[in-house]
Amino acid sequence: MSRLREFLLRLLAVFRGSCLDRELDEELREHCEMLVEEYRHEGMSEMEARRAARIRLGGVEQIKEMHRDQRKLRFLEALGQDARYALRQIQRTPGFALLTVLTIALVIGMNAGIFSILNALAFQPIAVRSGERLLSVYPTFQGRGRDVSGSINMFSYSEYKVYRDENHVFSGLAGYVPFISAAVGGEHSSDATGTLATCNYFDVLNQRPTLGRVFVDSDCAVAGGNAVVVLSNDFWRGQRGADSEIVGKTISLNHTNFTVIGVAAPSFAGTEVASSVFWAPITMQAALMPGSAFLNNADLSWISVLGNPKPAMTMDEVRADLDVITSRLDAEHPGTMKVWVREAALVNRPEERGVILTVGAVLLTAVSLVLLIGCANIANFLLARGASRRREIAVRLALGASRGRLVRQLLTESGLLALIGGVLGVIVSVITFEPLVRLVIAHLPPGLPPMALRLSLDVRVLAYSLAVTLVTAIVFGLAPALRSSREDLNTGLKATSGGELDHPRHAGAFGNVLVSGQVAVCMTLLIAAGLLLRGLYEAQRIDPGFDRKGLTAVTFQLEQQGYSKAQANALHQRMKEMLWSLPGVDGLAETRIVPLSNVHWGTLAQVPGTGAQQPVSYNRVSPNFFAMMGIPIVRGRSFSVEDVMTGAQVVVVSEELARRFWPGTDPLGKSLSLLGELPQIVIGVAKDAQVDHLGESHPKFLYLPTDMKTEAASQFLIHSRLDDASTLREMREMISVLDPNLSFSAERLEDNLDAFRSLSRIVVVVSGALGGLALLLTLIGVYGLVSYAVSRRIREIGIRMALGANGQDVLGMILRQALLPVALGAVVGIAGCAAVSRILSSFLFGVSPLDPVTFAVLPVILLGIAALAGYVPGRRAARVDPMVALRYE
Amino acid sequence: MKAQKVEVLQGTLDLIVLKTLDTLGPLHGYGIARRIEQVSYELLSLNQGTLYPALLRLQQRGWIASQEGVSENNRRAKYYSVTRAGKKQLSAEAKNWRQITEIIARVMQPERGGIK
Repeated sequence: MSRLREFLLRLLAVFRGSCLDRELDEELREHCEMLVEEYRHEGMSEMEARRAARIRLGGVEQIKEMHRDQRKLRFLEALGQDARYALRQIQRTPGFALLTVLTIALVIGMNAGIFSILNALAFQPIAVRSGERLLSVYPTFQGRGRDVSGSINMFSYSEYKVYRDENHVFSGLAGYVPFISAAVGGEHSSDATGTLATCNYFDVLNQRPTLGRVFVDSDCAVAGGNAVVVLSNDFWRGQRGADSEIVGKTISLNHTNFTVIGVAAPSFAGTEVASSVFWAPITMQAALMPGSAFLNNADLSWISVLGNPKPAMTMDEVRADLDVITSRLDAEHPGTMKVWVREAALVNRPEERGVILTVGAVLLTAVSLVLLIGCANIANFLLARGASRRREIAVRLALGASRGRLVRQLLTESGLLALIGGVLGVIVSVITFEPLVRLVIAHLPPGLPPMALRLSLDVRVLAYSLAVTLVTAIVFGLAPALRSSREDLNTGLKATSGGELDHPRHAGAFGNVLVSGQVAVCMTLLIAAGLLLRGLYEAQRIDPGFDRKGLTAVTFQLEQQGYSKAQANALHQRMKEMLWSLPGVDGLAETRIVPLSNVHWGTLAQVPGTGAQQPVSYNRVSPNFFAMMGIPIVRGRSFSVEDVMTGAQVVVVSEELARRFWPGTDPLGKSLSLLGELPQIVIGVAKDAQVDHLGESHPKFLYLPTDMKTEAASQFLIHSRLDDASTLREMREMISVLDPNLSFSAERLEDNLDAFRSLSRIVVVVSGALGGLALLLTLIGVYGLVSYAVSRRIREIGIRMALGANGQDVLGMILRQALLPVALGAVVGIAGCAAVSRILSSFLFGVSPLDPVTFAVLPVILLGIAALAGYVPGRRAARVDPMVALRYE
Repeated sequence: MKAQKVEVLQGTLDLIVLKTLDTLGPLHGYGIARRIEQVSYELLSLNQGTLYPALLRLQQRGWIASQEGVSENNRRAKYYSVTRAGKKQLSAEAKNWRQITEIIARVMQPERGGIK
């Protein structure tokens, strides 16, 4: 305690003026007077007494110095001096300081911004009552089969109840199931994404409603018994006009009427990345997800769990208590289940965190690489300036400054620059990132629920930014500081302010390494950006292998929206007839999966009697699907109407699948067995088409005919001769009239393509901006290095020219020496990018990650620009007048 | 010639000052210095000024407090006194000191037993 007190007092004293000095002066004077009096009593004369007193007291100045050292924190004061000195240095070179601060502000701003998104997703705890924590609890399973809805790392309802009832560590343990999509009936039918929650959900999260009430235990007492719902504040305001009488009214969700019991607080949008529009008791699962009964399946992963630990409960205690329950639960398969606990953020499950942290790390790395290029520039400049400050440093060393002291002072200078840049950067990130995130969200594929992402400048973001700033300061400050303080006094003091002849190569070596590094990093970023750009271009003109002109997809999930089989079949039939009757419609095909909708159906296929089962993707289509989509049948025939009516066991396979399953033989008439079905006879081979994912055709794709049993599950593809926009509008109106409660989407197929492009467009913009910035910074680096080399070697150049070299020779020499590190860096960069470019492949739409065009063109561009950057100062060297140069001081 | 003077042992000045103030009550710097010299029969060599950084340190740690006062000769002076925390510290350090001196004494006279 007393040490801490001492430290704090000394810290305070740093900021206090000189009044303490005066106090000490007085005290010492009094002391001296008392001594004088004592000596006078002993009979000394005034003069003698004073002299003796001073001797007894000791050196007053030394005492004061000791006193000051004790009073304040010495190093802090020295830091203040260094900072003042650094400020003066910065004022002397304002251009450099401005450039440095801007570079750092820009890149740290980006860094902090990206980190704040990452933070909001994965690190920021979900807000509850202050002082309380929320823990996320999830299981992992190993070595046992399990039913899954969503992710395997979730609980079943019965498991959840066991943990809820038998734990001793939580004051409340809530379960929820997000992303429940429901058709909201009524005048304005719409789609909404909501959450199924256990009835203690709001209590555990400490959420009070704006209106009405939240769930009570009795709401969850009987399965399917209590159709009540809590609405989100946004939905209540936006869709229900902030109706203050809403409590007690009913709302139809997937054809079940729910009674509204409350409206959530404005700040509450659920506990997931996507905002929730409504919350229903988990016991209403079957009503909201018709055709499935999850509550009684004890072996189904579908519930996420959040817990509110009792006060003063440690993580270890929580884990130990849950482990006891787990060991009882998995008695049947011992050791296959494990339960994990972590501080709850928006994203908690390991597989999702993995994706987010990877993407975040790639982005942060890219931004940091740009930062590194900028740092190299600054370091290079500091090196150059260090050389011109040789004399100053040599003098200080000669006067007794220690090397450590000098390094500290030089580092203070770079630290100050970095700090100013860092603070600016954080401000930049705060100002720009909200709109930026909104922009990104606006460009995400349509149909995603709105995001509930709250970016805030919390301790983690600040600490991260500060750490990056400090690392930056050390990265660009340390090497120059170490180099310039390693000064040989003799040569240093003799050095003139410029034009010295000592080891030009040696002095430049470090600068060359920096430029090589810059070019390597820049090359990597540029090639990555180039690949993505090529990918986007390809995606614009890519031929997915089918025709999409004039095609509209109408999609709906009748069974999931609560239609009975009979209702669904009737509606499906009516809809088909009415769509046919629309003007301009000249084709209508049925398909289970709309091409490029990013929905995949997979099963296992096997050639009877041979080999292993292989995973294949498939679709169920009506006979005219191929003709309408313009997918040619290259062998055999398409399905016939009889195939559909009779439920014939026939299949059309893709060319690639045929090649893989029956290499070298005619596939027609061969049989193929699919998991759980009778063997199918191959009746035709269709040309490969990219119906799954733009840019890649699934190598093993097959088509089955639609069948009578599941007809109502198919979607419609409609071809119209007329203008797409008006047809679309008419279709939407017509279906709304047909069944106002139906939630559906009618989109042009062209727009499905846009979903793929929009994501890559964001990636291209980001990588392009980073690549451009990297190029600019590298350009400055090369230019700076060459100019500096020229200015240092002006006398040498003069001598060369006096001895007969002409301007061309000098220019050639300068360029050769400048481009050597550039070329080296480029080679390293190309190799590095070739090694890692595979991680981009999902954005490349058919462009190879080792695309020769990109890998050839960009290095040429970079080298060209670097040559240009070297040429400008090189020309200056070539124009040197030997007479002037030799006298140059 | 006077007897050989002894330098103040590193780290013991704090203890000496605390003990002095504890025995004599509030004192100014000069008084403390005088007292130390008297007790040590003028054998302790002390640049009296070096007392002041020590006094500051003790104040910073909260072991002594100071207040303005008037000396016997009607001079204004700063008077130092031991705080409660200082008394606690003194008794702890005194105990520690006794142990150390005992050990040193035993080490210096091994033939009389103690360490075998």
